Amino acid sequence: MSAKPKIAFFDFTSCEGCQLTVIDALQTHLGLLDLVEIVQFREAMSEKGQNYQIAFVEGSCTRKSDEARLLAIREQASAVVALGACAHLGGVNSMKNRWPIENVQTYVYGQNGKDAYESYPARPISAVIKVDAVIPGCPIDRHEFLRVVQMMLQGRTPRLPDYPLCVECKLRENACLNTLGILCLGPITRAGCEAICPSYGDGCEGCRGWHPEANFDYMREILRGHGLSDHEIDARFTMFNHYQMEQMSGHAPLSEAVAPVTDTSLPTSSFAAPKED
Amino acid sequence: MIPNLTTTTTPRAYNGHTSIYLPTIATIEDVHNETELEKIYTVRLPGGQNLGHTPGQFVMVSLPGVGEAPISVMSSPSRTGQTFRLCIRNAGDLTNVIHQLKPGDKVGIRGPFGRGFPVDLYKGKDVLIAAGGLGLAPARSLIDEILDNRANFGRLIILYGARSPAEILFRDALAEWNERDDVESLLTVDRPDEAWLGHVGVITRLFEHIQVNPYHTVAITVGPPVMYRFVVMELLGKGLTPEQIWMSFERRMKCGVGKCGHCQVNHRYSCQDGPAWTYAEALAFEEAL
Amino acid sequence: MSLYILSKEKLPAFVEALQAGFRVVGPVRTPTGFAFEEITQADQLQLDYTTTILPPKKYFLPQRETLFKYHTGSNPEGAQSVDVEPVFQDVQPTVIFGMHTCDMSGIMLYDKVFSEGFRDEHYMTRRDKMVIIGIECLHPCDDASFCKDMGTLTAPPIYDLHMTEVDDDYLIDTGSEKGERLLLNYSEAKMATTDHMQRLGRVLSAKWPRFRMRLKMSKDQTPSLLTLGYNAHIWEELGERCLACGSCTNVCPTCFCFDVQDELDINMQDGERVRVWDSCQLHEFALVAGGHNFRESKASRVRHRLMRKGKYIKQVHGLSGCTGCGRCERACLVDITIPGTLNALHDEMKVESGV
Repeated sequence: MSAKPKIAFFDFTSCEGCQLTVIDALQTHLGLLDLVEIVQFREAMSEKGQNYQIAFVEGSCTRKSDEARLLAIREQASAVVALGACAHLGGVNSMKNRWPIENVQTYVYGQNGKDAYESYPARPISAVIKVDAVIPGCPIDRHEFLRVVQMMLQGRTPRLPDYPLCVECKLRENACLNTLGILCLGPITRAGCEAICPSYGDGCEGCRGWHPEANFDYMREILRGHGLSDHEIDARFTMFNHYQMEQMSGHAPLSEAVAPVTDTSLPTSSFAAPKED
Repeated sequence: MIPNLTTTTTPRAYNGHTSIYLPTIATIEDVHNETELEKIYTVRLPGGQNLGHTPGQFVMVSLPGVGEAPISVMSSPSRTGQTFRLCIRNAGDLTNVIHQLKPGDKVGIRGPFGRGFPVDLYKGKDVLIAAGGLGLAPARSLIDEILDNRANFGRLIILYGARSPAEILFRDALAEWNERDDVESLLTVDRPDEAWLGHVGVITRLFEHIQVNPYHTVAITVGPPVMYRFVVMELLGKGLTPEQIWMSFERRMKCGVGKCGHCQVNHRYSCQDGPAWTYAEALAFEEAL
Repeated sequence: MSLYILSKEKLPAFVEALQAGFRVVGPVRTPTGFAFEEITQADQLQLDYTTTILPPKKYFLPQRETLFKYHTGSNPEGAQSVDVEPVFQDVQPTVIFGMHTCDMSGIMLYDKVFSEGFRDEHYMTRRDKMVIIGIECLHPCDDASFCKDMGTLTAPPIYDLHMTEVDDDYLIDTGSEKGERLLLNYSEAKMATTDHMQRLGRVLSAKWPRFRMRLKMSKDQTPSLLTLGYNAHIWEELGERCLACGSCTNVCPTCFCFDVQDELDINMQDGERVRVWDSCQLHEFALVAGGHNFRESKASRVRHRLMRKGKYIKQVHGLSGCTGCGRCERACLVDITIPGTLNALHDEMKVESGV
């Protein structure tokens, strides 16, 4: 029997929930350990093997200094997999990109602490290194994780569903939340999670990113029907996907400019998060 | 007469299986690297059973654990004994894995499926075959069938367009056709390299070099979807009628047996009623061209 | 085949008696409406239900169905080996209770699709074990219904039993010997008298005015309308609106398209090939390996669905591709409807031809 492929897990700016899902998957699918050898997984073990072929990276890149570590991982691994929404999209961390970074630092660490901690606009790891596969979601879906690992071991390139969540939701015969007065971004969000949130009555927030044909104009119409202002709809569209909207520059389907304002006084912006009641 | 489009058979079992979706496990006997992108596989069904296909038909090739895809049969029935050949381009998830297979490895085969080229209708006629790219593989099943029954047909004209010299398929066969007095073959490449001395340009450029008797000719064209419209215009320009022009329609096929809906062209299923259609039939379908 | 009468209060006993030998599926109440589900108690049955999100087709063609199992390995000489074994899923005696006439029309189409040409034994062996008990629709489900336009407001000849509520009784027609046997063996149904038949006739004739017509043309005109309107402007407008979510096809009682996928066990050696519902409204549906997509635009996909519903299915199978159940209309968040589309097409063609 030839040596099992060695895999390693790394975390950047994240809650590590995706790695917890991996640990969960290992408990329900012990056979995974017959297929691969885990050489580094801070969440689960103390050893730190450096000789790995597949690197799973959770978290977004939010500091200039993160880039060197990512490049080192890329250098070593023959394949890099983005694990979860933060690594895949930038995720909720990218919400801070709505404001100038100085404002965010001041807001979080105060006037005295703002220079003590390094930060820059959050980005997916694909903005820094080449990524071979993606496991979307916040957190990831354990079955999708297993599928992606299997496909990579088969020498295949894992592919994501390129249709909206509504497909999976309908197959489960869920009543459409948007018709029940609960707002749901399922129609523009990439499927693959078996519509887990809508199945429990919670509207989709778009954590898996948009599907390639996302119809933002008519999604906006649907959300207006829920009584949301354009400003609030923009906030929904950018909760997990702010970085993507930034990348679309002038074509972003937002009602207001997405680029951060340059006013450095306080974290206010022409495009800010919806106010808490 | 053109064979009836409607399937009326209701077999309870197919290829000896109760399930029409169950593949027969076949063995790869040989793998030949044809070009950078294409490999030719020699496949043997259990017991060396003959595939029993007609030119232009396809089989569903599957790798359990990966998936299944339609592949045209490259062998002519005349050259199919205990094995048959498939020319497979590395163009997707499944074919990428197929390209990693070695002799002795197993593949699942279902089929042959579909309506191929009705060779009997072509007997006694001049046959013009215009193939583009990988389309030469299904065309090959017809060409070899004609060559092996050469006396039954009139002229055999083969026009072949490849993207670049490196992508030219079946160089041995092309050389053989070139040598023969009873085959008129012309080859063009779209993107020549410095060493290329032959015709340059898309396949339609070759039509100016041939003349046909429109009363006595059938044309068969196989190639990428974009090619058909232009080849048909050339053929009509030579006086052929839509009924004399046959084409093979590649579509996404997931089942091969007319159920899954993917290969639908208007109300017809390409996997059953095609892939070979006349241009006259295709004209009635808004979706065909 | 005869007409029987069973008093409403005797129905639960019939259902419970059937449960001894069958899985009984029927419309039950859910937090948001109704759904076809396996019932454990007779009082779960809601025969006065309106509509369901998914039609009962899910019991005939499950959302996910295993076609065969495979095992890959190597023999003692080291050569690769592959074994495959067909699986016939969910083949068990099942009574589908309370199917509306539109949904029975959908199953009539399925029966043709899966038996004609290559016979699909996965469907057919399951179907052979199914007993269909229909219920006559006396009121429209809601405003989305257009069954009257589509001619599906009366029971198609595929039921084993068909019930009509007449006052405190059900008048039950037997469509098959199997149905009649079940009714006589498991219930206290009695032969209907001429008086019962008269009452049934009155109930049936009284129901038609309650259903409205929504199409500006007859259903027999839809194939030619769609042919003429192939290049109409409306497709572009609808394509712009469409969310490409596939909900319209997933909830449709006549949609049967499927994708075929391989699933792999954790040992990477065993697994299953499955078919799952697919939708012509999704981008990948007509995409081939070389990268060409035969229906790249949403407009072409919306048009294809309407063509299939109003023309192609009829051309191939001789039955309507649309049952007028209204489910696609209820499921669409951007208000793309079959009556709306056909009527708009009708208007557009009228203007174009100067009529």
